[in-house]
Amino acid sequence: MFAFVLRRGMQSVVVLFVMSLIVFSMINLVGDPVDMLVNPESLPDEIERVRRDFGLDQPVYVQYWKFLTGALSGDLGNSFVFGRPALTLMAERFPATLELAICALIIAVTIGLPLGVYAGLRPDGLGARFIMGLSVLGISIPTFWLGLMMIIVFSVILGWLPVSGRGETAVFLGIESSMFTLDGLKHLAMPATNLALFKIAMVMRLARAGTNEVMAQDFIRFARAKGLSSRRIVRAHLMPNILIPIVTVVGIEFGTLIAFATVTESIFAWPGLGKLVIDAIVNLDRPIVVAYLLFVVALFLVLNLVVDIIYAVLDPRVRLQGDEE
Amino acid sequence: MIALSAIRTRPTSYVSGLLIAIIAIAAVFAPLIAPTDPYALATVSILDGRLAPGGEMLDGTIAWLGTDGAGRDVLSAILYGLRTSLTVAISSAAIALTIGLIVGLTAAFYGGRLDTILMRVVDIQLSFPAILVALVLLALLGKGIDKVIIALAIVQWALYARTVRAAAMVERRKEYFEAVTCLELSNTRIIWRHLLPNSVSSLIVLATLQTAHSISIEATLSFLGVGVPITEPSLGSLIANGFDYILSGAYWITFFPGAMLLATVAAINIFGDQLREIINPRLAK
Repeated sequence: MFAFVLRRGMQSVVVLFVMSLIVFSMINLVGDPVDMLVNPESLPDEIERVRRDFGLDQPVYVQYWKFLTGALSGDLGNSFVFGRPALTLMAERFPATLELAICALIIAVTIGLPLGVYAGLRPDGLGARFIMGLSVLGISIPTFWLGLMMIIVFSVILGWLPVSGRGETAVFLGIESSMFTLDGLKHLAMPATNLALFKIAMVMRLARAGTNEVMAQDFIRFARAKGLSSRRIVRAHLMPNILIPIVTVVGIEFGTLIAFATVTESIFAWPGLGKLVIDAIVNLDRPIVVAYLLFVVALFLVLNLVVDIIYAVLDPRVRLQGDEE
Repeated sequence: MIALSAIRTRPTSYVSGLLIAIIAIAAVFAPLIAPTDPYALATVSILDGRLAPGGEMLDGTIAWLGTDGAGRDVLSAILYGLRTSLTVAISSAAIALTIGLIVGLTAAFYGGRLDTILMRVVDIQLSFPAILVALVLLALLGKGIDKVIIALAIVQWALYARTVRAAAMVERRKEYFEAVTCLELSNTRIIWRHLLPNSVSSLIVLATLQTAHSISIEATLSFLGVGVPITEPSLGSLIANGFDYILSGAYWITFFPGAMLLATVAAINIFGDQLREIINPRLAK
């Protein structure tokens, strides 16, 4: 186990390094950030001064070296647009994204799990077919478009929910979140549901497949023979068995939620990480783009490592690479 | 041939296949079918702006799906947008398929270290969500239809490579493959004449579903403003264009392009699912 973690850790460092090299060299080929920063009527020497201030007059390898030495001491450079450290900006925005992703996850499981189990218990029933049809629709429907339709229905026509922003936040147990105020919850409702939709379909399919599989097992037949009620069979015998794979997959998918949040945040003007990076891409704010990419790569590397370890702990038959020798 | 007759006897696959055919024909013949040319600056008038569905434009044409803020007929814009969306999705799928085939077959045929390295790269790439990889690539490549196609091809190749490799590994263990190896044919000939034709069928379903997926990704990227340029709008850019008007109640500018997008993606997804069941009947139950 230790050898495996060490090996994967080293591999992750290499991947991060290679990514930073690729990202840094390629992003320098796109556009000229100075054009975005200065007034179009500025004099040439003023433009040159801005270019020098940001160190953009130097060759790419010099810039990269500066970035790398900075990165090793925890400094990923200053944003061109905000003039503040990229890491600080990201740290400020991250809680909003995390909050959105967690709410979406809760919604996805509370809606997807019961529907999936229901469809799995009566696979040929009309309700089950309807649910599975919905899940095909849920996978096909463009999330961002559905978000816009939600705005039309709930904000424009019905006027129930606000269109954009995070609303009022409150501090509870040391955590600042929109979840603790009514206004915040209203702001949270649409973005979180929108982000959850894709995952609802996924949880539903997983739950249905799991239920199908478990219900055919002998211990369920035995429980039935013992005369247990269906309710008790589902609760005590079915649920624990289907939950493990669902929890694992949902854990892996958490990273995807953070990635998909970029789209949701752009629609609902949610002040999170995703909105920050989309704006940065459009404004050619290179330090933010690079910092975000490295953050996401690191996040996924860690998530995958954790999932691999959990698999090995849950199921001893899984052998981790590097353990064989 | 078996697949064709199977499609005829299954109503769901028949209907979804027909829908795909209609959409494809509408996209190809858009300039002939569309009531107006939405990008001819001379005929588009701002005075026609934001007409509700069924409204009459200044030149007497009925805008069945309404007009957008600049006075373009939404129906015509959708037909033209469909062309861009399908072009991007199909060409990126073709490129990704080619790369995936080459990598997958090479890995399966030569095995060993090369296989390990190639599959490690595939694993690493597949551990990131497609939309994120595409977003990153476009941030690095810049704007333009060609850039979107390249980005989507890079996003998809790994999945094809993994699938082809798995199929080819199965083929390698069969007897005919042993026979071919004994004939001392050149490696390229074995790969292209024997391994390729036998492994390719596993890709048909994947390619269908991936096309739907890449239409979706392209639309999302264009909606975010990092996809195809505004001069050649896809369905995603049309939806983004309507985003500015939804608060004023002009729902049709976003609704109809999105409905078209949904119909296209759903038809392809359903058709792909049906195809999977036809090719591998064991999955049906």
